[in-house]
Amino acid sequence: MKNTVINVEELKREYVKRGFFGKTKKVVKAVDGISFNVEQGEIFGLLGQNGAGKTTTIKMLTTLLAPTSGTCEVLGYKTFGEEKKIRSRINFIFGGEMGVYRRLSARDNLRYFSNLYLIPEKVQKERIESILKLVDLADRADDLAETYSKGMIQRLQIARGLINDPEILFMDEPTVGLDPVGARMLRDIIKNLKADGRTVLLTTHNLAEVEELCDRLVIINKGKVIAKGTPSEIKGHEATLEDAYVKLVQEVTA
Amino acid sequence: MNFKVLFSTMKVQMKQSFARPMFRFCLLVNPVVNTILLYEMYRNSGSDNFMAYVVLGAGLMALWGCICFSSAGDINRERYSGTLALIYAAPAGFPAIILGKIIGNTLMSLVTLCISLITAVVLFRVPLHLENPLLFLVALLSAIVTFITISSVIACLLTLSRKTELYMNCLEIPIILLCGFVFPVSVLPNAVQFASRLLSPTYAVELLRMSVNGCEDPALFREKLLMLFLLTLIYAVLSAFLYKKIDRRVRIAATLEVS
Repeated sequence: MKNTVINVEELKREYVKRGFFGKTKKVVKAVDGISFNVEQGEIFGLLGQNGAGKTTTIKMLTTLLAPTSGTCEVLGYKTFGEEKKIRSRINFIFGGEMGVYRRLSARDNLRYFSNLYLIPEKVQKERIESILKLVDLADRADDLAETYSKGMIQRLQIARGLINDPEILFMDEPTVGLDPVGARMLRDIIKNLKADGRTVLLTTHNLAEVEELCDRLVIINKGKVIAKGTPSEIKGHEATLEDAYVKLVQEVTA
Repeated sequence: MNFKVLFSTMKVQMKQSFARPMFRFCLLVNPVVNTILLYEMYRNSGSDNFMAYVVLGAGLMALWGCICFSSAGDINRERYSGTLALIYAAPAGFPAIILGKIIGNTLMSLVTLCISLITAVVLFRVPLHLENPLLFLVALLSAIVTFITISSVIACLLTLSRKTELYMNCLEIPIILLCGFVFPVSVLPNAVQFASRLLSPTYAVELLRMSVNGCEDPALFREKLLMLFLLTLIYAVLSAFLYKKIDRRVRIAATLEVS
C-alpha cells in the first residue's frame, strides 16, 4: 500500500509588498493553488522557470514559511502549526554556497548540526565519519570551510542535509555549481537514499537529471501547476523531456 | 532546555565571533581607546578613584558594543549566510540556540572589563580601589544575567526585521547614555531618568559602582538589587512571550532569509 508522505492541496502563498508609508499595497502570488502528493520512497521533481514558485513551495514544506491558504502536510502533519512533529524527520539543502558556517571546519559544522538535531553522542561520531567519506570531504574535514572551493561547500551542505538521517530530503537546485564529478556523486547519493526507502523532493533546471532520477514530477509556472506525471508521460511524443518542458512553458506563456 | 545545545552553541559562537576582525576590534581595542578617552575626561574631576567611572565605564561601553554588534548583528549574519533558516528549523529549538549565542558572546565580552583595568593600570598608574569585592561579584553576576536577558529580547525582535544593522546602531549609544555607563543618571533630566529607571543595566551599573566605592547603605544596595532582579525577570518573561509570538510571525512575514 502506498504511503503518502507529502500532501499539497490548493496551496497558496502570497507576499504583500507595502509602499513607503504603507498606503500602497501590492500582493504577489508566489504560489497560486497548486496540488500534488508524494509517496514514500519516491524521488519527486518540482520543475519550473525561475520565479515559478518552487523555492516558496519547498520553504512551506520545510516549515520555514506559512502558507496563505490550502493544505500543506508532511508526514501527516501540518507544516504550520504541527512543525515540531516534522522537523527532526526531514532536512533540506538549498543550492549555492550558503547554509554552512564558513569559519568552522566541515567536521565542526557537522558536529554542531548533529547537536542541533539532538543526535546522541555515540551515533554522531560514526555518522559524521561516514557522511564525510560519502561526500568525499574526509581528507579536508578539519580545514575551515572558508578555504573550500564552491563544489566542496556544496558537498558540505549535502553532508549537513544528511546528518539526521532524514526520512524526507528536500533539495532546491542542489547541483548548481557542482562539477560533473560532484553532480554524479550527488545523483548517486540520491539513488542510494531512494534504495533505503527515503523520499527526495528535488528542484532542478537540469532535465537530464530529472529523467535519470525522478519517479514523478510536477511542472509549475507562475505559481500554478501546468503538468504532472512520470517523466515519460510528460515527455509524450517529444524527443526529450527538455523539448516537452519548453513546449509546455511556451504554450502557457504565449 | 538542552544544555548540550547551549554549550555547543556557546563554543561555536565564541569561535566564530573571535574569527571576525570587527569583533576582535570591539573586544580588544575598544576598551583601550575608551579607557584613554574617559581618563582624559575624568582626570581633573577631583575624584581619586578612577575605577568607578574610567575602568568600569570604559569596560561597560565596550561590553555593550560587543553585545550590540554581535548578539544583535549575528541574526543578520546568519540571515545573509543562509544559516538562520537552518537553526530556526532545527529540533533543538530557536530560543535555546539564540540563548547559547548570547551567553557565549556576553561571557567573551567580559574580557573588555579586564582590558580596561589593565590599560588604566599600565598607562596611567592611577589609584584603583575595589572597596567591596564580594558585593562587586554579586553585582557583576547580576549584570551578566541582565545583559544576557536584554540581549535576548533584542535578538528576538531583530529576527522579525531585515533592517538589523540600522537598529543595532540605534541601540548602542542611547543605552550607554540612558543607563549611566560613564556618569550618574542623576545628572540627566527627570523625564529621561524615568526611561533610565525602566532599563535594568542602569541598576547593574549603579550596583557595580556602589561596590567599587564602598557600600555605605546596604539597604539601598538590596533595593537596587531587587529592582534589577524584577526588571530582569520582566525581560525574561517578555523574551519568552516574544519568542512564541515571532515563531509564527517570521514565517508569515518571511524574514528568515534574504530573498
